[in-house]
Amino acid sequence: MRFAAVFTVLATLSLGTPALAQSGRITGVVTASDGSGPVAGVQIVVSGARIGTITRDDGRYTLFVNPGTYTVKALRVGFAPDSATGVVVGENATVTANLALRVIAAQLGGIVAVGYGSTNERDRTNSAAVVQEKDFNTGRVVSVEQLITAKVPGVQIIDSNEPGGGISLRIRGASSVNASNEPLFVVDGQPITVGGGTSAGRNPLNFLNPADIASITVLKDGSAASIYGSRGANGVVLITTKQGTQQRQITYGTTYSSSSVTRGPSLLNSTEFAAAVAQFAPENVGLLGGANTDFRDLVERRAAGVDHNLAVSGGRDDMRYRLSLNYLDQDGVILGTTAQRIAGTLNYSDRLLNERLEFRANIRGSRSQDFFTPGGVIGSATAFAPTQPVRNADGTFFQFTNNLAPNNPLADLAQLSDQGVTFRSLSNVEAKYSIPRISGLSATVRSGFDYAQASRTFFSPSTSQVDRETGRGGQFARNQPSSLNTSIEAFGSYVRRIESLKSNLEVTAGSSFEEFTNDSPSFVADSLFTDLLGNGGLPAAGMPRNFFNVQEARLAAQFGRVNYTYNDRYLFTGSIRRDCSSRFGPANECGFFPAASAAWRVIDESFLKNLNTPLSDLKLRYSFGVSGNQPSGNGLFRSDFTVGDDRSQTQFGNDFVPTIRPSAVDPNLKWEETTSNNFGLEYGLYNNRITGTVEYYTKKTDDLIFEVPVAGGTNLSNFVTTNIGKVENSGIEFAVSARVLDGRDNGFTWDAQVNASNNRNRLTEINAASAGQRIPVGGISGDIGSNIQVLQVGSPINSFNVFRSRRGADGQPVTGDLPDSALFVDQNGDGNINQDDRVAFNNAAPRWIIGHTSNVGFRQFDLSLTVRAYLGNYVYNNVASNQGNFQRLRGPAPINLDRSVLRTGFVRPQLFSDIYVEDASFVRLDNLTLGYTRRKFVGVQSLRVFGTVQNLFTSTDYTGIDPTAGVNGIDNNIFPQARTFTVGFNVGF
Amino acid sequence: MTTFTRKTVLAALVLVGGVACTDVAVEPRSTVSSSNIFNEPGSYRAFIAKIYGGLQTTGSAGPTGNSDIRTNDEGFSHYVRLVWQMQELPTDEAGIAWNDDGVQQLNTQLWTSSNPFLTSMYFRVFFQVTLANEFLRETSDARLAQRRVTGALATEIQRFRAEARYLRALSYWHGLDLFGDIPLVTEANELGRTPPQQASREEVFAYVVSELIAIRSALPPAGTGGTGRADQGAVAMLLAKLYLNAEVYTGTARYTEARTEAERVIAGAYSIDPNFRRIFSADNHTSPEIIFSVPQDGLRTQSFGGTTFLTHAAVGGSMNAADFGLDGGWFGLRLKPQILALYPGGGGPASPDRRSAFFFFPGQTTTMANITDFSSGIPAPKYTNVTSTGTPGASLQFADTDYPMFRLADAFLMYAETVTRGAGGSRATALGYINTLRQRAYGNTSGNITDAQLTTNFILDERARELLWEGHRRTDLVRYNRFTTAGLWAWKGNVLAGRVTESFRNLYPLPAAELAANPNLTQNTGY
Repeated sequence: MRFAAVFTVLATLSLGTPALAQSGRITGVVTASDGSGPVAGVQIVVSGARIGTITRDDGRYTLFVNPGTYTVKALRVGFAPDSATGVVVGENATVTANLALRVIAAQLGGIVAVGYGSTNERDRTNSAAVVQEKDFNTGRVVSVEQLITAKVPGVQIIDSNEPGGGISLRIRGASSVNASNEPLFVVDGQPITVGGGTSAGRNPLNFLNPADIASITVLKDGSAASIYGSRGANGVVLITTKQGTQQRQITYGTTYSSSSVTRGPSLLNSTEFAAAVAQFAPENVGLLGGANTDFRDLVERRAAGVDHNLAVSGGRDDMRYRLSLNYLDQDGVILGTTAQRIAGTLNYSDRLLNERLEFRANIRGSRSQDFFTPGGVIGSATAFAPTQPVRNADGTFFQFTNNLAPNNPLADLAQLSDQGVTFRSLSNVEAKYSIPRISGLSATVRSGFDYAQASRTFFSPSTSQVDRETGRGGQFARNQPSSLNTSIEAFGSYVRRIESLKSNLEVTAGSSFEEFTNDSPSFVADSLFTDLLGNGGLPAAGMPRNFFNVQEARLAAQFGRVNYTYNDRYLFTGSIRRDCSSRFGPANECGFFPAASAAWRVIDESFLKNLNTPLSDLKLRYSFGVSGNQPSGNGLFRSDFTVGDDRSQTQFGNDFVPTIRPSAVDPNLKWEETTSNNFGLEYGLYNNRITGTVEYYTKKTDDLIFEVPVAGGTNLSNFVTTNIGKVENSGIEFAVSARVLDGRDNGFTWDAQVNASNNRNRLTEINAASAGQRIPVGGISGDIGSNIQVLQVGSPINSFNVFRSRRGADGQPVTGDLPDSALFVDQNGDGNINQDDRVAFNNAAPRWIIGHTSNVGFRQFDLSLTVRAYLGNYVYNNVASNQGNFQRLRGPAPINLDRSVLRTGFVRPQLFSDIYVEDASFVRLDNLTLGYTRRKFVGVQSLRVFGTVQNLFTSTDYTGIDPTAGVNGIDNNIFPQARTFTVGFNVGF
Repeated sequence: MTTFTRKTVLAALVLVGGVACTDVAVEPRSTVSSSNIFNEPGSYRAFIAKIYGGLQTTGSAGPTGNSDIRTNDEGFSHYVRLVWQMQELPTDEAGIAWNDDGVQQLNTQLWTSSNPFLTSMYFRVFFQVTLANEFLRETSDARLAQRRVTGALATEIQRFRAEARYLRALSYWHGLDLFGDIPLVTEANELGRTPPQQASREEVFAYVVSELIAIRSALPPAGTGGTGRADQGAVAMLLAKLYLNAEVYTGTARYTEARTEAERVIAGAYSIDPNFRRIFSADNHTSPEIIFSVPQDGLRTQSFGGTTFLTHAAVGGSMNAADFGLDGGWFGLRLKPQILALYPGGGGPASPDRRSAFFFFPGQTTTMANITDFSSGIPAPKYTNVTSTGTPGASLQFADTDYPMFRLADAFLMYAETVTRGAGGSRATALGYINTLRQRAYGNTSGNITDAQLTTNFILDERARELLWEGHRRTDLVRYNRFTTAGLWAWKGNVLAGRVTESFRNLYPLPAAELAANPNLTQNTGY
């Protein structure tokens, strides 16, 4: 097995035994005849030599041939072909043949990155979407995924609202329950860790500078993603960064932004609050105070941000480089939150050894510093009694004496600190060698590392409220994880044009090996000897505790792919990947992931060409693929012993003994597999002035890696992670792009794009033996241990699990201080309202996601807008359910109420009422940008000045803070949405 | 090929060969694998400590963070906290104010099979059972011989094995008492996916009795086991409880055996603590009365269950938390009003029965008009995190107070009950035991009863007074047939005045999660 990959490559190398001794060379550049520059992705065919190639990004190509006389043809859809005849190549001679292509139709896409290679948009057989730089969102963009929000059908990007906040993407719905649902991110060919990676900051993708990104490709179906095998089950996001240019360019850009909160929770004002306390909690009137304080307002701020980008690129002969630097400082709209970043990137490429060796290196380094609002501040600001002052008359912070009362949020902001610093370097080198004498055969070796070192420091002085309440005596905690992921990949590819069959053949095969190491020292020190050093130092503490943990994992793979294009219109792709992961036991560590796809370029059929239709492009495609998913934790198949910590010791006679606990495992844990099918239709009308795609897909996931209850007595805990159950997703996606107005150089142009996607998710099986199984998930605030969601067969994953309200004569839900039996439907008719009457009811995933982008140009002005809409997504308004009842005024300290209580009249909490599961459908003007560009004046290549408003308005019936509320749809004092105004300019020399 | 190209091809192949490594196996470095854990002799002790720890804590990180079982809340899933709530909340002794999912059903007896508390309890029982089974497998003669364990360690391991079997028997007792017919899984059943068969309550009873008798001689004499460890006193106490309730468990009364076992306990190295309050205080490990306790420690044995729960939850309203060695009250537990009538003068500081001296009246109402309002009902902060001399525990958050699962007064009461039920023994001795307890309660002989007053029904009331909030009440009421179809108290059946409930509620239902995972099980009648 060990030498399987060697064999694969050897086989690749020997595919065409070198009977020919190619010693000559034809090279050249293909440009567009309208002067718009080089054309990439052009098929170069040499008649008589049965060889060919494809032009590179800069339009250049090189072919190796025997001495002789040839005709070189250049072919690209959307262009009239061109050819150079009588090209005479001598022994060891290099002949230049430049070609020019005339545009005959608007271009349909360009090169599409696929795993381990690239393809032509024209020849693509599976479902992928590319977003180029020109289509990226602008404004305040802290992390890269925000560049494509609302741009790609079938992709839901969930923003945490925090600057640089956590990332979450769902491509075509959630396919797993306990394994990850996040896609694989691949940066310039290197897969990177996003979930569970080492970071002391927020979003692990923050190390990337959005200004460095050239394009983002989303591989959506199983066929496209399966070349990434084990980690492709949730789709793959390929990020390609900008490379050097032949001519020297210096660009500088900067933006300044100002953000403010768009909406907060609706709470009682101080007068209403005092009246409510007097009526419903008269015993607490003494705790009221006489101030009028808006604590939410006091923890919010108008947040400033600044961003600088400098890039220098250039080249000589075949060498290219690009060096970029980025500085970002972005405050959050809640006090205490700031994200800062310094990032540098160097991209270098060259062609050596007679242009046979293509060498490429990407070196990236960044330092991110994140300041966090101390935990609980947002919740306390929402809950704190508005009749109390921030400070007492003596200048100290007001606090309630009872420790169950919320803490004064402004005291926490002033006293606690929580910050993290992350250094990360993601670098790789790649060498592609074109094997001599066998035209079209190349070998590529790619090696990279992803190193991160982070530290997160939390400090609470002994005078803080939490320390006073618990008698902890202050706390200094620091977590310093570091991780190193290394990868090495090697693959060979062979490209051949079979002119007689009008066919292209491409074979790729290789292997990869990745190793993940993570070590995490941390310490927590209580009973500080002094508060004076803050988070700057720790001279001594009464109770220091140290921890250290090492995690290691490995992943090895072999893969192969064949692309075959027959008659230039029947396209086939087949691939297989074998993955072996250390997260499974020896018997199950490897999985096979095959895929196949086919496409038919109907437009190229003569019967269609002869008809007089407005069609300028028509392609049908179908793909099938299996991809895998591994558990998110290591060693889940192996019974280990967990050593207990110092606070969970057992008193054993007169001694305290640290314990050991055997873990509950399924030693037969194996790969989760997702089988997907995709039908696609691509069309172009009126010379591709209108283009579009329609897709239908199904994804069926079997052998879910699922933490399920097991029968008492059978294992060492009550839940075990095993392979059980099935999930299905299916949906349709539409995308249409049109040049609505084409006013040429001096008129209006208007490009519009609309995309829409629908996904239907269903958990189809948990345990075949018991159909009625219900697993509660989705913890909420309000009462300890309450879950609002459920996993049950026949419903979408994480459906809300609620009582259905009875309806009054007016059709509205019955509310008020009534017994449960008057409020809720007794589903099982047993005369009691209890857990058995809660039913699955809607879920957080949108039924439809709709995006619209318009770009309007008039002379040197450009205006673009992006609109996003979700339909049929539901959010559980946990602020309303938790604080929407008068009972919250009682107990140790009255807390402020959500205004919904004035409508519902609830005295007791009704956490499980369906009235809190709100329809959060919305339309949002995500982005509105106005720009002005001037080219070529006083030494300046181009200057663009622009202004952007993000989140200009949101229209929704949802009553809480944000209708996009998190991946699980539980709105519990989440970071608020901001409206951001940005101005900036980019200048190029 | 030129030398140059040959070299480059070779170089490429070497690189590719490097990649071709497919050995992905990784040995864990921060956990210990089962293959080498017992290379360290201390592991046996650490493992038996974990089985005891299953009663003391909720996981491998204190107070929470690495739970033993997955439940809706780790703090809620504490073994003692669950047993206590299931034994006390549905009775006349206690009510809780909170609204946490399912907890009000414990107040009213109207639970369902998906109640998270009874679900957690069931899985706590079986966590203990499987842990003990695993310990017994790992310490079998064959395994020990394989690892060449001899000498003092081998001797010590034999005691550990008896303790593991004791802890398994204890949990099986809780299981059969609360749930009835449950699976009987022993070390003979290998771990795996095959769900076990259901055993009858009688079978589990017989197994537990036989186990306890079998291990008795392998344990130290009564009262010499050390804090928190099982000895012959704990064995006799558990056997006494099994036999006392044998009619409920098996249909056949075994009062004589119950009396014999109670006598064995009383003969042990225990004595009635002259200071009643010390039994529930932060220094109760020094009390001579405790037979088997679940130790707690504010710094080293932390959880949100056990006495941390019992101390905090009973404090609220206008009580001063610092008086109880606490950082604050949790505004939860109060007495249901019917229990007050058992104490002369309705209990409280003015009552001559000082076992109610700590009942807290200011700002509270005696009726429990609103069970979810802490001020409705009288709190009874029996457990406190200060020592008998008034020093607070080491932590205000986590109690130092051990949970006294079995104590001598209970053995006295069991002896007396078996005597009144005609199991032989001496009425005079029984009367002496009862009056010993009452003299401690009254501070003198004014509360003593006469032989005529010593009836079976009197014992039930006396158990309520003496063992209030000690986790025995439901079992006692079921034994006296007053838990469901007879007996009225606030919120029973979810009405303030109380109403009778169906007899099937003498047992809890098997959890819905367990029925879904184990198709071999039949749900208890009525559910």
